[in-house]
Amino acid sequence: MSTTATAAPNPLAEGLHDYRVAEPALMVIFGATGDLSGRKLLPALYNLAKQRLLPAGFAVVGAAIDDLSDDAFRKRASEKISEFSRTQPVDEAVLQSFLEGLFYIKVDFSKLDDFKALGRRLDELDHARHVGGNRVFYCATPPPTYETITEQLKAAGLNAGDGYHRIVVEKPFGNDVKSARELNRMVQRVFHEDSVFRIDHYLGKETVQNIMAFRFANSIFEPIWNCHLIDSVQITAAEEIGVENRGAYYDKAGTLRDIVQNHALQLLALTAMEPPIAFEANAVRDEKVKVLRAIRPITEEDAVKSTVRGQYTSGWVLGEHVHGYREEPNVAPGSLTETFVALRLFVDNWRWAGVPFYIRAGKRMPKRATEIRVLFNRPPHLTFGRQAAQELDPNAITLRIQPEEGISLRFGAKVPAAGIRLRSVAMDFLYASSFLVEVPEAYERLLLDCMIGDPTLFTRADEVETAWTLIDPIEAAWREGRPPLQMYPAGTWGPNAAAKLLEADGREWHRP
Amino acid sequence: MAQALSGPPRDALEWKGEGVTIAQVLSALTEFRRKFAEAQSTDDDHPHPRNCVMTLIAVAATEAEEKLAQRICTTIAVHHPSLAIVVRDQADVKPGRIDASITAPPPVQVTEATGAAAASPAHYELVTLQVRGPAATHLAGLVDPLLVSGVPTYVWWLGTPPFGSRELRDALDIADALVVDTAGFARPYHSFLGFADTSAHAHRRLGMADLQWARLAPWRESIAQFFAPVTRRPFLSGISEIGIDYAGAGRGNRIPSATLVGWMASALGWKLQRAAGGAGGIVSAQFEADGWRIVDVAFRSVVKAGLVEGEISTVRIVGTAGGTTFRLSIARAPERTRRPAPDLGPVPFQHQHSTGGEDDAGMEIAQRKAAQHREMAFQNRDSLHHTATGDPPGESAPPRPTVFVRERRRADNSLVLLTLIDIGGADTLRHVQRIESNDDASLLVELLAMGAHDAVFARSLAAGAGLMRAL
Repeated sequence: MSTTATAAPNPLAEGLHDYRVAEPALMVIFGATGDLSGRKLLPALYNLAKQRLLPAGFAVVGAAIDDLSDDAFRKRASEKISEFSRTQPVDEAVLQSFLEGLFYIKVDFSKLDDFKALGRRLDELDHARHVGGNRVFYCATPPPTYETITEQLKAAGLNAGDGYHRIVVEKPFGNDVKSARELNRMVQRVFHEDSVFRIDHYLGKETVQNIMAFRFANSIFEPIWNCHLIDSVQITAAEEIGVENRGAYYDKAGTLRDIVQNHALQLLALTAMEPPIAFEANAVRDEKVKVLRAIRPITEEDAVKSTVRGQYTSGWVLGEHVHGYREEPNVAPGSLTETFVALRLFVDNWRWAGVPFYIRAGKRMPKRATEIRVLFNRPPHLTFGRQAAQELDPNAITLRIQPEEGISLRFGAKVPAAGIRLRSVAMDFLYASSFLVEVPEAYERLLLDCMIGDPTLFTRADEVETAWTLIDPIEAAWREGRPPLQMYPAGTWGPNAAAKLLEADGREWHRP
Repeated sequence: MAQALSGPPRDALEWKGEGVTIAQVLSALTEFRRKFAEAQSTDDDHPHPRNCVMTLIAVAATEAEEKLAQRICTTIAVHHPSLAIVVRDQADVKPGRIDASITAPPPVQVTEATGAAAASPAHYELVTLQVRGPAATHLAGLVDPLLVSGVPTYVWWLGTPPFGSRELRDALDIADALVVDTAGFARPYHSFLGFADTSAHAHRRLGMADLQWARLAPWRESIAQFFAPVTRRPFLSGISEIGIDYAGAGRGNRIPSATLVGWMASALGWKLQRAAGGAGGIVSAQFEADGWRIVDVAFRSVVKAGLVEGEISTVRIVGTAGGTTFRLSIARAPERTRRPAPDLGPVPFQHQHSTGGEDDAGMEIAQRKAAQHREMAFQNRDSLHHTATGDPPGESAPPRPTVFVRERRRADNSLVLLTLIDIGGADTLRHVQRIESNDDASLLVELLAMGAHDAVFARSLAAGAGLMRAL
């Protein structure tokens, strides 16, 4: 077991990437030949190398069941980076330099000898590359393998020694509160909690981090950020794609577990949290956990009134005809798994009493859009009369997470004409064109944070478990068919029941 | 995937006027914005808000600089909506007159290739003012009415700013930051010290930035990364020698090396004790660290294919801490290829040392030479510096400063750094780092993205200038 080392800041790092200079390390990617590694991790590491953020000695050791040589792994990595790097065209010189630090070893997760061989390989590289024993073990593998990998790392003695030893796991972390607790306990027997980095890649998005900047770096928003002025909050996480090649996984998970338990609840927590005392890992995560604990649990009885679950049928998305969910590969023909979720939640604390938080997440929606829309109360008195204000909507702040990342403020303005006529207009902040720097990919930020040892943007064990306690009763009700699964054609904003959920409260969904 | 902008690309809006007033330019600019808003709005959509990141004022003394400024401002503006004002300063030309032009390219058509950076209604305006006569010396009065309110104003002076002049002070009154390229200064030694003085006495909100400082970033990062591991942090207190090889003769070519040493010294609290320049471009200096320890610093001029004057070839840091010796050597790798520069003419200085091979910091030679020169240097320092450069006492500018500038700005500025790390008796770690090319436009963006208020640069500049003055 190891803990994150602390030391005085490196004075030479000041001014360089905000002190963000990583120590050399060996990063072992379990599942290195898989989709996540090829699409996200290796391209992200290449882009870190391109930004000169990987120190001398840093190396990647791919570990997977495939029988590959170092050169074959490098060739595969090169192809994936060329295809998926966010920066194009790929700089061949930087790529070649990066590939020199890539190595591969075949590892069967069930074989302790393979982990011992991995240990020997790491020791050799450690000696040759002066990395001081620093290790990052990245589980780019299906969640059921986490337990095996962690136990084998311990059995092979790879979780201890000189330097730091960190493990990175992808969501979902468990599939209910019981399994999450068991997994946490098991991982914490091998790694200290400070060394466990649970990735929810949404938290690595600049726009998600900007929610905190927007709220806590500006004095004009925080005083109005409460139940006295806010009518409701809508969180939308819509995707136009279907389950693609993840049918087998998705049919077991569903949208509630795949999106709501992590991404959507994280967005809610960031929107509703109290100001942390500092932008520091535990301070931020403490406040998020407080919000999650303050969410009124949806009991099995409430589930009928406050939840909607849907599944897409065939339809038209972006001008193309697409299959229904049950026709997707590796999906059971009679599947009852939801591909759409709508929820009404309440945060029972002083700040948010009575303010509904509506969450909507789904696949095969008309477009990809993730946003948080904060709607404000109407003015207490219509000074200009009902006729003049009939085109006037309540004030709203929309935090657009993706795409067209930015913030929009809607307010009323006088239409330039004779007489008084009011209309809503928007004031837009566009992330992409307001700064002189490119927006990095979420995985770049998160991988660098992990190497630096900053867990602020990773979820803590209690955060994960608290989120599951909110999900489990809903899942239980749904298993009983309460409410029933609703069908919706692909390319629409979900079943009619979702619209009715808000209509019952006198509100309607915002169309992103 | 980025969303396409509404409507097809439209022709650029252009306006030109000869013998105009700034009021006429402002009027044309206002009309421009009205037309742009009209062009963007549709029947059922209101005009997109005009997004603007900054006002960038580029001051150009020559036609070549004017063209360069226009090109770089346009390159930057493709992704960063902004107002760019290129001022062609012709104060000596009479009669006085202002010729102006405004160009605003059509909105960028977003494609897969241009990506999300162009997803917004990116709009920029390029105003060119050719100012003849005394009005050119009143920059603030010329551009103040045109500035965009609420966004930073950066003054990018392409050549050598007239340090200490009223003209420059006037310009800086409206600026949030002054950006220069010390590698392009005429009379580089005096101009560099002038820049350092300006930085030291600038008003609090004025940032100072130097493209040459941005070029040093890979060196600074590699050095900082070496000391990043907690286990190597004690090495910072054990540094005993720093050696730097650089190209070129004359004091001006030592500026990047001095700035790099200034960066380390100011970060680590070293105090300059003494310094001297010797023959062969050798510089020897001693710093006091931790109140008692001596850090020896040596520069020397080397010949190496592909280097331009002033460029650093190698940095080596040697020391001992806790009984462990360490040596960090960072060098431009010998395999780096660059286009030949046939227009540069013969190398205008005498080379004192030939070097080769991948670990060619030449510390041993430099230290030996430095040791020979040190005592003599401190005894007779007044006369030594001009002996070292071969120039008469006083200024020792590079013989062809304009070539120096052109060479710096060649597009093929790719860099390969070879880092060798020796710690204790362990094998040498060899790390090759290829760094993509950075042209002036990307360097400028890098500086401006940081807001140009860089306290580390300010203190490094001051320490580097202190070292240069002591030579």
